[in-house]
Amino acid sequence: MEDHTDIILRVENLKKHFEPHQSIAQAIAGQKKRKLVRAVDGVSFEIRRGEIFGLIGESGSGKTTAGKLVMKLIPQTSGRMFFDGEDVTSLGKAELIAYRRKVQMIFQDPYASMNPRFKIRDVLEEPLIIHKIKASRDEREAMIVQALTEVKMTPPQDFMGRWPHMLSGGQRQRVSTARTLILNPKMLVADEPVSMIDLSTRAEILHMMKDVQRDLGLTYLYITHDLSTTRYFTDRIAVMYLGRIVEMGRADDIIDHPLHPYTRALIDAVPEPESGKVHVVKELPISGEIPSPAHIPPGCRFHTRCPYAKPECSSLPEPELEDVGMGHFHACRRYKEL
Amino acid sequence: MNLKDTRRALLEFWNEFRKDTSGLIGLGILALFVLVVIFEPVILPWKDVNRKWRNIDYWIDNSPAAPPAWTNLFAAEKKAVTTQLRAPGKAESDMDGGVGKILTLTFPYRFTADKAPLDLIFRATITGDVPMTFSVQRPDGTGIELVSHFEPGLANQGIRVTLNNEANATTFAFVKDYVSEADLSSLNSGSLEPVTLIFAKGEPTMASKPMALKGDYKLIVKAMLIDPATAVIADPHFVVSGAVSGVLGTDDMKRDIFSGLVAGIKWALLIGLMTSAISVFVGVLYGITSAYYGGVVDSAMQFIYQIVNSMPLLPVLIVVSAIFKPSIWFIVLVMVLFFWTGSVMTVRSMALQIKEETYVEAARALGAKNSRIIFRHMMPILIPYSFASMALSVPSAIVYESTVSLLGLGDATIVTWGQILHDAMAGGAVLNGVWWWIIPPGLSIAITGMTFAFLGFAMDKILHPKLQTR
Amino acid sequence: MDTILRVENLKMYYHTSKGAVKAIDNLNFDLKVGETLGLVGESGCGKTSLGTSLLRMPTPPGRYESGRIILDGKDIIPMSEREIRKDIRWEKISMVFQGAMNCLTPVYTIGRQMLETLKEHREMEDSYATELIKEYLGLVGLPAEVMGRYPHEMSGGMKQRVVIATALFLKPSVVILDEPTTALDVIVQAQIINLLKKLKQTFNLSFIFITHDLALEAEISDRLCVMYAGKIAELGTNEQIFGPAAAGRGANHPYTEKLLASTPRLHRKVEKLSYIEGTPPDLISPPNGCRFNPRCHRVMERCRNEEPPLREIEAGHFSSCWLNDEGR
Repeated sequence: MEDHTDIILRVENLKKHFEPHQSIAQAIAGQKKRKLVRAVDGVSFEIRRGEIFGLIGESGSGKTTAGKLVMKLIPQTSGRMFFDGEDVTSLGKAELIAYRRKVQMIFQDPYASMNPRFKIRDVLEEPLIIHKIKASRDEREAMIVQALTEVKMTPPQDFMGRWPHMLSGGQRQRVSTARTLILNPKMLVADEPVSMIDLSTRAEILHMMKDVQRDLGLTYLYITHDLSTTRYFTDRIAVMYLGRIVEMGRADDIIDHPLHPYTRALIDAVPEPESGKVHVVKELPISGEIPSPAHIPPGCRFHTRCPYAKPECSSLPEPELEDVGMGHFHACRRYKEL
Repeated sequence: MNLKDTRRALLEFWNEFRKDTSGLIGLGILALFVLVVIFEPVILPWKDVNRKWRNIDYWIDNSPAAPPAWTNLFAAEKKAVTTQLRAPGKAESDMDGGVGKILTLTFPYRFTADKAPLDLIFRATITGDVPMTFSVQRPDGTGIELVSHFEPGLANQGIRVTLNNEANATTFAFVKDYVSEADLSSLNSGSLEPVTLIFAKGEPTMASKPMALKGDYKLIVKAMLIDPATAVIADPHFVVSGAVSGVLGTDDMKRDIFSGLVAGIKWALLIGLMTSAISVFVGVLYGITSAYYGGVVDSAMQFIYQIVNSMPLLPVLIVVSAIFKPSIWFIVLVMVLFFWTGSVMTVRSMALQIKEETYVEAARALGAKNSRIIFRHMMPILIPYSFASMALSVPSAIVYESTVSLLGLGDATIVTWGQILHDAMAGGAVLNGVWWWIIPPGLSIAITGMTFAFLGFAMDKILHPKLQTR
Repeated sequence: MDTILRVENLKMYYHTSKGAVKAIDNLNFDLKVGETLGLVGESGCGKTSLGTSLLRMPTPPGRYESGRIILDGKDIIPMSEREIRKDIRWEKISMVFQGAMNCLTPVYTIGRQMLETLKEHREMEDSYATELIKEYLGLVGLPAEVMGRYPHEMSGGMKQRVVIATALFLKPSVVILDEPTTALDVIVQAQIINLLKKLKQTFNLSFIFITHDLALEAEISDRLCVMYAGKIAELGTNEQIFGPAAAGRGANHPYTEKLLASTPRLHRKVEKLSYIEGTPPDLISPPNGCRFNPRCHRVMERCRNEEPPLREIEAGHFSSCWLNDEGR
């Protein structure tokens, strides 16, 4: 497990700071620039080959931005990235295209991620055209059929001529997955792949994704705000708060023994389908809402909402991730006392 | 397969479109225009109008500023309509004592108007020595030897004999038999109008108050073929130059306005469609590019756009036309340089939305290049919109060209509606009440504009909501 | 407890060119004062249609086919639109629409938007209305300065609180909440649920809480109504559906069982999540017999031919399943 070749993606101190847009007129008028939005503010993690790594966080935690950075859809401000042993921090045009063949993305809204004017066949053929996979028409057709079969859209011929709007939410996410599989990627970044899907079929999609992952030996970076699916779906998770990872480790470990107060709050907030809670007002060990990433509190960035915050939490520099053994990391200065 | 999809999409579009009455009207008029352009050679009364619009000789047989022929329907005094008499009866006889022959060409002409034609003009293309005499047989049995004409040594050259100019003496002689003493004294061979008298009743007042003698006339041309082996009379015909002429009359310069108008359709369509097609294409591409790249590119492109957009087209067009003596292509080019801004803002804002669509991001995540995203993912969604905006910018292109022409700065090698209007203004058509010179081209410009506006609105209605709901 | 709302044999169909969509097909239930009734089901099962129907504003082309909606002793279906606007809608029954927080007008301040809603229903002095708004903002846990803010300056949770405050303005007896927490993060969701519980106690309100998330219903609903294809599959108290705290029998209808099983559990390690195969039926021509039979894992011959009636299987627990005849 500790072997270095086992790591497929390593991210080191990745940052993404957005400059607030300022128009020429504003610049001339001498208006002060608004503050930097520090969406991702120094994130480091490793994903092992063949594992499902969950990135958990509320909206505004920077998890989606982190996913886009890994996808190289936006350039990072600083930090380094290694994929499959290679430095992929900055890539040329050709290298980027090659990288995109290896790392693919599944989006939250499968319907929106397909051009409404494309039929399923066109949706699936698009990656082949983009990557100039020179195959005869029949070969391409065979590849499309195979990809659809992998995501259990059978018989594939029934679906190829349809438009995205003729499919159910679950079927669309299957097609969306098939589109990424057709290029034989090594890793998939899945950004909230089931949050738009009805609960009753959510599990179906997760099953399918897990089957595909096992069958093809894929690695997933699973981005979600929904802790309840991570226990079933992921091997390890990292909990993000305001652009930083506050806790990271095996999913079971973290859910059963959370160390960081934020993780605890997240876990406590998840509703469970059990009776006897109606007349109880749930105790939430956290108050208020996540601050804006343009105004990140000094010190431990969670201290403004933390029920255990002490003066040193805001005065001392930000705590770094600390290993407490078994690959469980956390970033809380006071975890021993709690 | 793709063809089937296209067909289905088109059918769907048509089903929507035909519910829109104004759109159908527009389509109908456009179809009519296209038909007229296709069958232009058949429709044109003056076949060479495209080449000879500004050639005075080509129009010389017409009468100037003649109202349309159909005005006779509303006039108390019917005027002779301009016609050509072709296909004469031919008879050949030997010349007395000689090798030569006499060719007798008889042109029948039924005269039913109240007012005589303004002129009778004989035209033919002649080779060799062919002396000719002209005479007329009137319905009352009388005949007049009008004139003789001889141009020696012609080699495939055209001759033109206008009876109103050349038959004075003979007509005077004929009239003398009828006219009263009083009238005769005021008459001289120089001032009389032979053609009017040829078609007048033989009575004492025929000079002062000519009454039309209606009936079948025969214009007889006797040509002496001195050397029948070589002499040729090709295409002999009479032009009856009436006081009313053609479908839409003539202008000051004797040009047939209907011919000009028909010849102008294709230019109007060309100017309108070409200008709008090119400029909309440029505008759509510009808008998408600006929106897609964003940032500095967007700022710079918007800056250029704003400069161009704030420049008034007309003054520039006038200056440029005045300096360069422009061709129609040049005018189209200048208009394109200004017109492309029309769709930029809408396209840009739509593209800004589409750019944020997940499927565009998905395409990028798949590794698609910018050009592929623009052309394959963004363009197809904006193209329907651009069709509508194209149709809507056609009218302004036509009007601008007309305006430039109206100022006398148009392309001098073609006929456009704007130029006809310009000539009308210059010729004082309004002052002189020559309405048939102004209303037809003006109305044509208006109708064409309306046609495309109708089409544009109809397309806009159908294609826009689609775009939003998708 | 008194009944504030009773729905009897309610049918509401959407009349489309393809035929009548039987979105609500013969519903019967009642709502007590101070009670929260949960309405669960997959998308397309008629939950939202029921919400708007209760507000006497079915989305076109929807029409009431039959039945009565008795609110506070009076059937509201035959009332005129004027009466509804004057006495019923927002006065006695209000609704937090799904995604309403994203429908706040971006160009007006929160205060102005709330003021306008208020003045649409009641004539009052601006100063008095402002005080009222401040009071209600306070009730939903927002500071008064929120009035001067624009929607884009607020988080999703804050906007949802504003929407809830707006729904409570005229002190209605019944509030329908359509997926009020769907777009929110778990912590904010828990905060909103807590807020709703508090409001319910303060005002003795009755809620109809619509969601597809059973776990959420467990937190808030006194009773649950599980809807499938426009009909009630199961209706029972929180304990009856989720089982008593000391694990008992729980859900009766296979659909409810399946829904429960497909709800992911955080504190229980599961090797395999279950799910319901297939999709809800087309409501223009629903399947014969039990509407759930094509997707049911315990389907019997009878289910395909005869439609099971909604029957009381224990006190206050209703289910429409033939299995109850088989001794399960």
